[in-house]
Amino acid sequence: MHPSSFEYFAPKRMEEAIDLLTKFGEEAKIMAGGQSLIPLLKLRMASFPYVIDISRIQGLDYIEEKGKFLEIGALTTLSEIEDSELIKERYRILREAAAQIADPLVRNRGTIGGNISHGDPSNDMPAVIMALDGKLEITGKQGKRVVEASSFITDSFTTLLQEGEILSKIMVPVFDGSSGGCYIKQKKNAGDFSVAAIAVHLSIDKEEKVRRAGIGLTSVGPRPLRAEKGERFLEGKRINDSVASEAANIIVSESDPTSDFYGSADYKKKVLNKIAVEAINTSYERAMVR
Amino acid sequence: MTVLNWKEGDLAYDSSVFVKGKGHFVDDLNLPGTLFMSVLRSPYARARILSIKGGLNGSELKAKMASVGEGADPSQSVSIQPVFATGYVNYVGEPVAAVFGDDRYKATDLLETVEVDYEPMKPVVTMDDALKFPPIHSGMKSNILVQSSRGSDFKDPDSPIVLEDTLENERVATNPIEPRGIVASYSDGMLNVWVSTQSVHSIKDGLVESLDLRPDAIRVMQTDTGGAFGSKGGLYPEYVMASYASMKYGRPVKWIETRREHLSSTNPGRGVRGKVKIFAERDGRITGLKGDVLVDAGAYGTGIASFSAGFIAMMMTGPYSIENGYVIGRSVLTNKVPQGPYRGAGRPEASFFIERMVDLLADELKMDPVDVRLANMSDKAFTSPLGMKIEPAKPFFESAVRELEYRREVKLTNGVGLSFFVLVPAVYPGESARIIVKDGMVKVWLGGNSHGQGHENFARKLVNEELGVPENIVTLFRGDTGMTLDGVGSWGSRSAIAAGAAIVAACRKIKKKVEEENGNYSPELLLSGSYDEFVYEEQKMSLNSFGANLATVEIGKLGNVKIKKCAAYYDVGRALNRDMVIGQIQGGMAQGIGQTLHEGLYYNEDGQLITSSISDAGVPLAEDLPNFTVKIAEHRSSLPHGAKGLGESPTIGVPTALIRAIEKASGKRLRKTPVTPEELIQ
Repeated sequence: MHPSSFEYFAPKRMEEAIDLLTKFGEEAKIMAGGQSLIPLLKLRMASFPYVIDISRIQGLDYIEEKGKFLEIGALTTLSEIEDSELIKERYRILREAAAQIADPLVRNRGTIGGNISHGDPSNDMPAVIMALDGKLEITGKQGKRVVEASSFITDSFTTLLQEGEILSKIMVPVFDGSSGGCYIKQKKNAGDFSVAAIAVHLSIDKEEKVRRAGIGLTSVGPRPLRAEKGERFLEGKRINDSVASEAANIIVSESDPTSDFYGSADYKKKVLNKIAVEAINTSYERAMVR
Repeated sequence: MTVLNWKEGDLAYDSSVFVKGKGHFVDDLNLPGTLFMSVLRSPYARARILSIKGGLNGSELKAKMASVGEGADPSQSVSIQPVFATGYVNYVGEPVAAVFGDDRYKATDLLETVEVDYEPMKPVVTMDDALKFPPIHSGMKSNILVQSSRGSDFKDPDSPIVLEDTLENERVATNPIEPRGIVASYSDGMLNVWVSTQSVHSIKDGLVESLDLRPDAIRVMQTDTGGAFGSKGGLYPEYVMASYASMKYGRPVKWIETRREHLSSTNPGRGVRGKVKIFAERDGRITGLKGDVLVDAGAYGTGIASFSAGFIAMMMTGPYSIENGYVIGRSVLTNKVPQGPYRGAGRPEASFFIERMVDLLADELKMDPVDVRLANMSDKAFTSPLGMKIEPAKPFFESAVRELEYRREVKLTNGVGLSFFVLVPAVYPGESARIIVKDGMVKVWLGGNSHGQGHENFARKLVNEELGVPENIVTLFRGDTGMTLDGVGSWGSRSAIAAGAAIVAACRKIKKKVEEENGNYSPELLLSGSYDEFVYEEQKMSLNSFGANLATVEIGKLGNVKIKKCAAYYDVGRALNRDMVIGQIQGGMAQGIGQTLHEGLYYNEDGQLITSSISDAGVPLAEDLPNFTVKIAEHRSSLPHGAKGLGESPTIGVPTALIRAIEKASGKRLRKTPVTPEELIQ
């Protein structure tokens, strides 16, 4: 790769990284796994005089349950999520999403923090964390703050991160036994970004009615979307074919895809409809089994 | 940075080094004092250039491109591409200026120092627009680059079945794993060029013509070449620029293509549409075929387009005995990168047109497609009305149906496709070989250059067979105009045939000399002496061969195609190396799948390339590929070593079988590659 020249920093401590970010402001860019940034630099579609590689900061690479939350350090790679026993056992939806991102080479380098904070409407992790009612911990000069994952990405490639702030932790609520979710992604070719993808997570009550629904959408709007109307529609209902199908229609009405190289807007809606039905049914089955 | 000392040993060609990571590719050649070249390219499909300031540009280097290599047409004059655009740019990616830096970063930075003022114009993007709008080049009457016809026009017969359809193959990037690249180094009146190529002789001829050089003042040497698939057989503007700059600056000049440049500026293949009409009887016999073939030539006639229209037209009746045929072939100019050869170079397009029509006829008659094909082939040799000579097709086809287990497959699943084709290899005008025997070793050079096929395997085998020496003392060297006076190139399924025949001829000349000197021949006598023979072995006869493919698929509810089975049965002549034959077929099958399901170059209405990354251009990934079944028939050709062609067979036979399988599984008539999930979603 032959990018424009830049100065490279690899701080080992969070404070150092924040100092550098504060000092250089908009001229600096954070790099974690580099899987989004390096292609941009390589093609000279973007250039930054300062690149701050945070991958050497200690203590940001972990997956653990702590009280009411599953906590994932922002530097945890997508491969680590894919391979984690804890996630395989209890957070299948996360594993499903991680395992479908690009190819193994990208997943070995790419981090969950980078996947979310890049703000790309086609990245997979935001929709999943949104469907799970996840929270994000942001570290800055003034200390830490926690925001709802659903409000973090405000527009294409735009997030709530302020100057000098770094996404440091992803927090997913620990759901009880009668919950289940899944992530379905339609790709044109292996390794592609999605044409459309959906994360559905359902919790059911003793009468097998949906107690809580979380639905996140990838690639069908200017940012990852939360299908709130679809969620409300499902709540209080037992899932059958007509409920799933009606919910899918509502979810599609909440999407806003554009026609592009990956397909026409109508095609994307058609895909979203089909994967929504499948994701609702699969999540419900998984919630029942547990 | 390692500076390689390119001694003779490094020029030995041995493809086993590639898997060890020890190839010598052009980017591995780092001569002291090298200047790196970066090329400023047009951001517009069509624009007037008001001014250019900076860099090496067309105000200094006024050279024009030369049409050399596969399908060359030196008769084109108005539509010859300049090395640097002056006055007008005619495609996105067309070179406008070049800059030179001490390293590649600096060279890329320097692109920003060149200032170009453009006045954008409305481009001609599609073939339909090309026919509708005024010519893109002044001095032409229309955008039709060439028009020719094959066969003779006939009155539409009063047939019970008349079917007409329009079929198309989208443009496909060649996408070898190693992009193009060159190092040019001028010193003491000699221009030495190292290049990733299919033909050192084409590159030499092109540079001699374009830069008006003395043929003895240039030597072109091939580096290890990481694939080409047609795109590295001819001259490109960057080669002329780098050579010129090396002479100007007195330093070696290196240029290595980026993948993005490859997608915008290396001649892609396909981009062909055919309107086909067939006349048939109710028993499935096709009595006549009319066709109108349109080739998207791109912006200049320097590619292969002026050849391909007529070539496709010639092959439009495929392996079938169709009595009447008339096909018009036209290549039209558009504001896109010029078309070039891509594995098959017209053969897959022609086969796509006839095979799609035969399948349509089967559906119309509710007949098994195999029976329709059988109704149209003969036990006897046949010369088609379009001018193609075909051996008796029926015996091979019948064995193909058995070998591919077609009758069993159609009982198991609905999504089955079977294709049949005749491969016309580009054997004319022949090929050269030079063999030197010295110090107990045998060294071989060929006029055409291996770019991944492993020519050294057949070279060793044929020398062993002809001269009785062990294979391990035989070395094939990379292409080098300093070692072979003349030669052609590796393309068109020709090397085992033409280069193989040249090796055999050279060996026989040497053997005769040994006999003359010693009264008899033995390998020991040979190796104790010194011999040096160059032959240019002409090839004029037709050496066609048959092939068939079978594919079975399932289609998911989102329209994604899962290939269950992808099988080939080809007559490869005598297989000189069975493993290499099978490997080559498997690689080609992957490319056939790529064209059918994944690959395409798309432009928007402004002529901007939409597919500017390799993932968008859609090469198939391992996950997309099935296990391949490869069966070969070895019917020797009439050549002394029995070879026939095979390199292009899979890209001819796979798309037609696969698209038929998808058509059957989806119930939708399919007319175009690539087939997308959007077309197939339920």
